[in-house]
Amino acid sequence: MAKMAFQHQAGTAMECLSIPITLHKDVDGENLICGFKIGGGIDQDCRKSPQGYTDNGIYVTEVHDSSPASRSGLRVHDKILQCNGYDFTMVTHKKAVSYVQKHTVLNLLVARKGVTST
Amino acid sequence: MSYMQANQNRPMSHGNYQSGPDLPIGSAKEQTLMWQQNSYLGDSGIHSGSATQVPSLTGKEDEEMDLFDMDQGYTQGFTADQVDEMNNQLNQTRSQRVRAAMFPETLDEGIEIPSTQFDPGHQTAVQRLAEPSQMLKHAVVNLINYQDDADLATRAIPELIKLLNDEDQVVVSQAAMMVHQLSKKEASRHAIMNSPQMVAALVRAISNSNDLETTKGAVGTLHKLSHHRQGLLAIFKSGGIPALVKLLSSPVESVLFYAITTLHNLLLHQDGSKMAVRLAGGLQKMVALLQRNNVKFLAIVTDCLQILAYGNQESKLIILASQGPIELVRIMRSYDYEKLLWTTSRVLKVLSVCSSNKPAIVEAGGMQALAMHLGNPSQRLVQNCLWTLRNLSDAATKVDGLEGLLQSLVQVLQSQDVNVVTCAAGILSNLTCNNQRNKVTVCQVGGVDALVRTIVQAGDREEITEPAVCALRHLTSRHVESEMAQNAVRLNYGIQVIVKLLNPPSRWPLVKAVIGLIRNLALCSANHAPLREHGAIHHLVQLLMRAFQDTQRQRASVASGGSQQAGTYADGVRMEEIVEGTVGALHILARESHNRSIIRTQMVIPIFVQLLFNDIENIQRVAAGVLCELAADKEGAEMIEQEGATAPLTELLHSRNEGVATYAAAVLFRMSEDKPQDYKKRLSMELTNSLFREENVWNADLGMAPDLQDILSPDQPYDNLYAQGPPSVHSSHGGRPYQQQGYDQIPIDMQGLEIGSHGGGNGSTFSAIEAMELNAEPDLNFEHIDPLPTPPQDNNQVAAWYDTDL
Repeated sequence: MAKMAFQHQAGTAMECLSIPITLHKDVDGENLICGFKIGGGIDQDCRKSPQGYTDNGIYVTEVHDSSPASRSGLRVHDKILQCNGYDFTMVTHKKAVSYVQKHTVLNLLVARKGVTST
Repeated sequence: MSYMQANQNRPMSHGNYQSGPDLPIGSAKEQTLMWQQNSYLGDSGIHSGSATQVPSLTGKEDEEMDLFDMDQGYTQGFTADQVDEMNNQLNQTRSQRVRAAMFPETLDEGIEIPSTQFDPGHQTAVQRLAEPSQMLKHAVVNLINYQDDADLATRAIPELIKLLNDEDQVVVSQAAMMVHQLSKKEASRHAIMNSPQMVAALVRAISNSNDLETTKGAVGTLHKLSHHRQGLLAIFKSGGIPALVKLLSSPVESVLFYAITTLHNLLLHQDGSKMAVRLAGGLQKMVALLQRNNVKFLAIVTDCLQILAYGNQESKLIILASQGPIELVRIMRSYDYEKLLWTTSRVLKVLSVCSSNKPAIVEAGGMQALAMHLGNPSQRLVQNCLWTLRNLSDAATKVDGLEGLLQSLVQVLQSQDVNVVTCAAGILSNLTCNNQRNKVTVCQVGGVDALVRTIVQAGDREEITEPAVCALRHLTSRHVESEMAQNAVRLNYGIQVIVKLLNPPSRWPLVKAVIGLIRNLALCSANHAPLREHGAIHHLVQLLMRAFQDTQRQRASVASGGSQQAGTYADGVRMEEIVEGTVGALHILARESHNRSIIRTQMVIPIFVQLLFNDIENIQRVAAGVLCELAADKEGAEMIEQEGATAPLTELLHSRNEGVATYAAAVLFRMSEDKPQDYKKRLSMELTNSLFREENVWNADLGMAPDLQDILSPDQPYDNLYAQGPPSVHSSHGGRPYQQQGYDQIPIDMQGLEIGSHGGGNGSTFSAIEAMELNAEPDLNFEHIDPLPTPPQDNNQVAAWYDTDL
């Protein structure tokens, strides 16, 4: 079960350990800053990802230094399973972005290779 | 009125809420119950008249009475006294009669009023006035009630909003039920939807409450409001869509029903709803609902899915990822409710143009499931199934178990409906492409006869003739029944009609298909004479000359510094293809000596020789092939030699293409027949050197056996998939590289057809709405639509990979 977290077929049931992460965004005038990049989604081809991801989940592709993301404990290659209660294992890239941008505080559940599973 | 009382009571009850359990809860309940009563008291008292009936007579009775009158006549005589008495009586009862007509409910039971009409079968003037006067009375009554309802609701709404926001769930629940009751009356419904606060309170109640009655009342009200444009707008503006989408997970049937129908109405008529439903995750929930088994409910769910997926690639991918195709195919297999099958086939149609969904639908058994309904009496269902099947058919050429479908399609070819026939022919064309089993099946169920009849009846309707000719072309080559098919075309008097299609107004794609078919028909020796008699050779030569000139002109313009163009296209057909096709057909025709003598008189041998220099290998091969046949006669061999063919043919002996080399050798060999011995010896040396590798293939009598023919010219060029869609779409496939082996897999995006078919008289009421919403969407101001790296929105393919900085 657990190893399926990174070879998950979108839409199928999955059970895995996850790390809860709370991220408070920086407010810069009108903009909210998270300090990380996400890649992936059901509309993308994971085989073309330079990181070699093996499913169509949403992955953290970069965490900027001393950013809200790095303070929150988010790491590169974390797979975001949920964001503020929204399921992230079956979303399009665009929708994932819109959910992340929606709130000033992000309550994330992530899977991490070697930690929540091998 | 009690309204004032309630207003005074409320603050008190609210204040006491914490202090004691009895009074406050009781009073809160009382309040809402009072409202309920109120709604029923809002009757003006004239209501009692609303149930009355106007006396009416049926026409049948009238006729009978007329007959009776004709027999009896008005022969009864009355004395003057009698008449006076009657008049007197009538005068006395006049007001009664008028009242009976206008206010029948005011009459005492059992009173008999004398009629002024002699003939009891006819109405009196007053009676005839009764109906319109009753209608007028009802209108006035309704107006008074309406005013009452409206006034009441307007006054009640601020109070009900407060109650809906109450902390006590019981109060909220009672209030929600009350509002639901109010929403059932038109006047109060308008009052509710005119109050944004009220709609917002209802949405809040749905989002926050765990109480079933509250949810039912609130969503029931929204459902009522959703029948009005104004109501839809109010729900949309109050953020009702995410709340309604959330309810799609409810285990309660009635809540689900209200939620889905309200969303359906929003999707149909409210701009921006589609985007909002997608963002709220509605697609996933709706696909999950497809597992339920209430057919009417499923019909609404599938229609919602269709609206959401239509023209939106992202939605199609989400449906795919949620296992939508499997569920939709299951529905097509499991139910027989026409409306559900129709809406489901429409979703499948929309999905079937998506290259990711297409294989999933086919794999889920979509072809077989759709085939089950081709005999359905519902035209709209049949048409949508056919459109979907046509979209899927190029991905289903390797699927087994389509015998039933193929048989249905052959039957459907007899339909009077042009759209149906067009689709059926297109599907048959695709499914018979490179699939031996399907070819055999279609032949065995009489497909050839049906296709020939279809072509004959279609006249110059190319949308039918082109796919039908393509299908015949597939059926007449490379399978065990192909010879039967070649004969069947002739026996059904098809040859004359098919040759005629080489003429204008046929466009190039059709002409190309016909050329291929004629080539295949010529494989059957019994067809040679009829083809010749109907002028096939002459037409082919004319086409060859024209196409050859076009390619030469093109060459010249490129040589003189013109832009480096790929070739001359006409309707997506390259002239090189026409050259190859016509020469290939002439090659097969030239196996027969009568045909050879005609070809020799057509001044076409110089072109064949020039084509030996062509840089396209396939053209070299067919040119060498036709020369090989023509060289079988002494006259032919001499003409070829006179055109200077020896040098290029000798060159071609070293061609990498075995077919080309073999044919070239054969021509040279035949040309050397009457040459001196030492020339033959030299040639023979050269041939042996270059052709040593295929000594076995090299047939002594040089009469190219059909088998060899097949090895030399695989049918690929003639066996390509029928290009779907109306001819205007053809231009989009124009750019495919000429020499690629695969003419046969042309990915066809049916998006154009999808849109066209919506307008195209399938009785859909959605087309107008579609257009409206499509225009509206780009202007949507959703908070989360921020500048994003542009993902390839309408791309049919999965996007490569990119990330977004947050």
